[in-house]
Amino acid sequence: MKIQCQLCPKQCLIKPGQSGECRVRINIDGVLRTVVHSYPCSIHIDPVEKKPFFHFLPATKTLSLATVGCNLHCKNCQNWEISQANPEDSEAVFCPPEKLVELAKTNQCASLAYTYTDPVIYYEYTLDSSKLANASGIRNTLVTAGYINQEPWKKLLQYVDAARIDLKAISDDFYREVCSATLKPVLDCLVLTKASGVHLEVINLVIPTLNDKPEQILSLVQWVKGNLGSETPLHFSQFYPQYKMRHLPPTSAQTLDTARQIARAEGMQYVYIGNIASDTGQNTYCPGCKKLLIERSGFTVLQNRLKEGCCPDCGQKIYGVWK
Amino acid sequence: MTRREFFKFVLKTASAVAVGAYFITEKVSPRKFIRAVRQKKYPGSVKQLPNVYTQGKWRG
Repeated sequence: MKIQCQLCPKQCLIKPGQSGECRVRINIDGVLRTVVHSYPCSIHIDPVEKKPFFHFLPATKTLSLATVGCNLHCKNCQNWEISQANPEDSEAVFCPPEKLVELAKTNQCASLAYTYTDPVIYYEYTLDSSKLANASGIRNTLVTAGYINQEPWKKLLQYVDAARIDLKAISDDFYREVCSATLKPVLDCLVLTKASGVHLEVINLVIPTLNDKPEQILSLVQWVKGNLGSETPLHFSQFYPQYKMRHLPPTSAQTLDTARQIARAEGMQYVYIGNIASDTGQNTYCPGCKKLLIERSGFTVLQNRLKEGCCPDCGQKIYGVWK
Repeated sequence: MTRREFFKFVLKTASAVAVGAYFITEKVSPRKFIRAVRQKKYPGSVKQLPNVYTQGKWRG
């Protein structure tokens, strides 16, 4: 019997013995099974700034994990060796939700980060681990492309504290041609996440010739401001030639600076540039008095002047989760 | 309309309805999200838990 997976907008129709596009949800004897639950292929302790989360528990450690597989097939994927791998060709460790929470606790990690590939495809593992972590006082963060149906997303958001979602471009053609996906479900996911009260940060990977024109960046910024609010942190990240896009050059520092200027001119309050060395592009400034609040270098927080989540100089409340 | 044309029309219409019905019925089960069942055995190889202190080499 064929099964239709209802997890993501691809809604794969899966024949017996076959998997969906994500490679990890398989029809076994007419039952939809996940073969990666409790089997991460990668598990590390990272600084939360690496995700990047710049407004969520700065300078804390996060136990980060991923399983193989992804429901998108981005030609520029920087983690394609695991995201586009088949479970049967990969190595994993056995780490059930209880063990994850225990690892996070013993290593003083403030949060669990479901990251590297996409937590959407290891949904049940993420959900079970999030419930357990939530009950144990460990926060849950998702690093995702946001390509998921609303019903499962709403269910997962109940246990999630923060989400960093990719907005790859405001173009359905871009999503179709580069990522084998569509734009609208991602926009819906972003809006739903913000509306649910979960802390949200948005990232845009700026790829030369594909989404780096000022008018493309402007339309993305306007959408974010109009639908998610000017307080939503927005990260512009440097593209580096990878996977099926080795023919394009890395994004220049100038292009990223221009993107940042466009976003700030439109009124976005917290705009960052990442994946590239920058003197000020990773610092947080007060949108009220413009003074430096958090100084960063790479993934390291050099100083944090926030007092109870507010600017110490003018008292303005800064969007984020600070304790 | 000749009898031959009439039968052609009926045949085409019936085929179109049958093909449409096939795709619709194939796509409707299940109608809502249900969680996947956990498969206990991993299809790839399983190794020991590595040193988690090393920072991940993957992006994100």
